[in-house]
Amino acid sequence: MMEQADKLLEVTDLKVHFTLPGGGWSRNKQILRAVDGVSFSVAPGDTLGIVGESGCGKSTLARALLCLVPVTSGSIKFKGQELTTLDDAAMRGIRRNAQIIFQDPLASLDPRMTVGNIITEPMRALMPELSRTQRHERVLAMMQQVGLLPSHINRYAHEFSGGQAQRIGIARALVVEPALVVCDEPVSSLDVSIKSQVINLLQNLQAERGLTYLFIAHDLTSVRHIAQRVVVLYLGRVMEVADRDTIYRQPRHPYTQMLIAAVPIPDPRVAREHKVSAVRGELPSPLKPPSGCAFRTRCPWAIERCAMERPELRVIENSQVACHRAEESLGSKLSG
Amino acid sequence: MAQLLEIRDLSVHFRTEDGLVHAVSHVDFDLGEGEVLGVVDESGSGKSQTWLAVMGLLAQNGYATGSVKLHGRELLGLSPSQLSHMRGVQLAMIFQDPMTALNPYLTIGRQMTEVLQWHQKMRRSDAEARAIKALEAVHISDAGSRLKTYPHEFSGGMRQRVMIAMNMLAEPEILICDEPTTALDVTVQAQILALLNELRERFGTAIVFITHDLGVIAQIAERVAVLYGGRMMEQADVYTLFEDYRHPYTEGLLRSVPRMDEDRTERLLTIPGNPPNLAMLPKGCPFSPRCAYVEARCQQQMPELEVIAPGHVRACFHAGELGRQETGA
Repeated sequence: MMEQADKLLEVTDLKVHFTLPGGGWSRNKQILRAVDGVSFSVAPGDTLGIVGESGCGKSTLARALLCLVPVTSGSIKFKGQELTTLDDAAMRGIRRNAQIIFQDPLASLDPRMTVGNIITEPMRALMPELSRTQRHERVLAMMQQVGLLPSHINRYAHEFSGGQAQRIGIARALVVEPALVVCDEPVSSLDVSIKSQVINLLQNLQAERGLTYLFIAHDLTSVRHIAQRVVVLYLGRVMEVADRDTIYRQPRHPYTQMLIAAVPIPDPRVAREHKVSAVRGELPSPLKPPSGCAFRTRCPWAIERCAMERPELRVIENSQVACHRAEESLGSKLSG
Repeated sequence: MAQLLEIRDLSVHFRTEDGLVHAVSHVDFDLGEGEVLGVVDESGSGKSQTWLAVMGLLAQNGYATGSVKLHGRELLGLSPSQLSHMRGVQLAMIFQDPMTALNPYLTIGRQMTEVLQWHQKMRRSDAEARAIKALEAVHISDAGSRLKTYPHEFSGGMRQRVMIAMNMLAEPEILICDEPTTALDVTVQAQILALLNELRERFGTAIVFITHDLGVIAQIAERVAVLYGGRMMEQADVYTLFEDYRHPYTEGLLRSVPRMDEDRTERLLTIPGNPPNLAMLPKGCPFSPRCAYVEARCQQQMPELEVIAPGHVRACFHAGELGRQETGA
């Protein structure tokens, strides 16, 4: 386990709840627990992967870490500084150090701005000390680093393919030299051949600049190549945390096992042996999560206790698992 | 396997402000009864357009040339009313985003029974009974009361099931699936793939599955066609394509898929460059700007499709061994 001082980001029991109006004339407001008691930490220079299905709260978590949505309770410490209580002016200083890359590159780039303006804008807002020429030089250097040509500077985002647009998004996030970059599904919408290009680019930039990444994804494949540690989320709760190699070799939580088994294997012979679908059921509504363990309605090993008592995250060998039956290693039959 | 669909020398063009765009150029496909054909293509390569042309659903500025024969009957050039009698009954198509394909103002029941009332002149109560059966076939529980609900009340995976049920109502001979799982979670994708396999075994429906995910292809397809820039690059049965591929693009695709069942590599292999722009395709082979084996003539001339082995064709000048793909950022 890491020492306290080594942590760049430390999240403790973070909750983000949204209040929704009740249906019809009902005065009962509904509470959506998008993030419900999540804790983790990231050491400088590391990559933490956060994985879960859509609706598991991973994007809310990403936004909450940068204080882009209000936090209900819990603590976010960045370089030892508590973020949840900061005012807007103090937060501005943090933004220079913590940036985000979004899922849909074309939707997150202003269609009326040129590539040069898009990459310059964060510097105008967060690094006012730079002169116009300094900014221009930085833009060109940044573009080169992400693999864009200098001639692209006066073009508009829609003239680029998805993969190139994501390079612009990466340049915009990195130009203010942040320490932490939250990558919210940066490759999910890209083609297979382009996906690997962007993952390799992110890894190169991390090595050159000593960046820390929080890499959010809905499947375990891309995370496997970039993250040292992986957090598995389900309905706003942490199901399992482990080192990359541990989580792929020995997934302990039934949900992690299901996620791994669901990934199609690009080999027709292997794929056809696996004919039995390992995936059961549907994601329950986050407005009405099941009692006890959130995953129990889809879990092949659920027992009565799972409905009664919410499992806490506990340490088992090299992993942290929130499952009452984690020691029984039931999944070895499943994941094969 | 009896021949069902025969596509010969099909090209699809679009008139645009920037001139004529060739979305698909001279492709051939065959589909047998109950067969699953996987179609692999990069986004922006016009992979959907071939099948929209088959369905007679091209946009106003598009037109197709060549020949598309279903049971020997030419489909290109049929009148809109002839086409709409054929769609739904013989050919059906499901799309990537079920929400845009469903009408948000109408209940699921209304949208499902419409097909039967129109095509088979069924009474409403009979049509509803059929719709319930179809929903049950795609494992939607409580199907009777689901008929009264609206599309937004379903999750993404459930909507795609509804789309499949709707398309299976008239038990079409061919179901064209245009990236039906790309927008879905891996867990939901696994369920939808299992469902399609099950329906195919039950009803003997032939399936055309369009995707850029080779993992999905490995699970579902029997034969695979790999296209790039609207041209056929390679076509073979699924085992040959994965184990004895002979085209540099197929190689690049296979090697850039991150795999879960093998040990992790430090670097992912990639195909350098960007996906093709159909409005500005190079003169020769569309893949030549990204190809590791490119020769001078590749930039001048599109290689002809050659038969390597029975049922295995490719279009490439490269004669030697493959295995020279590099990693790149």
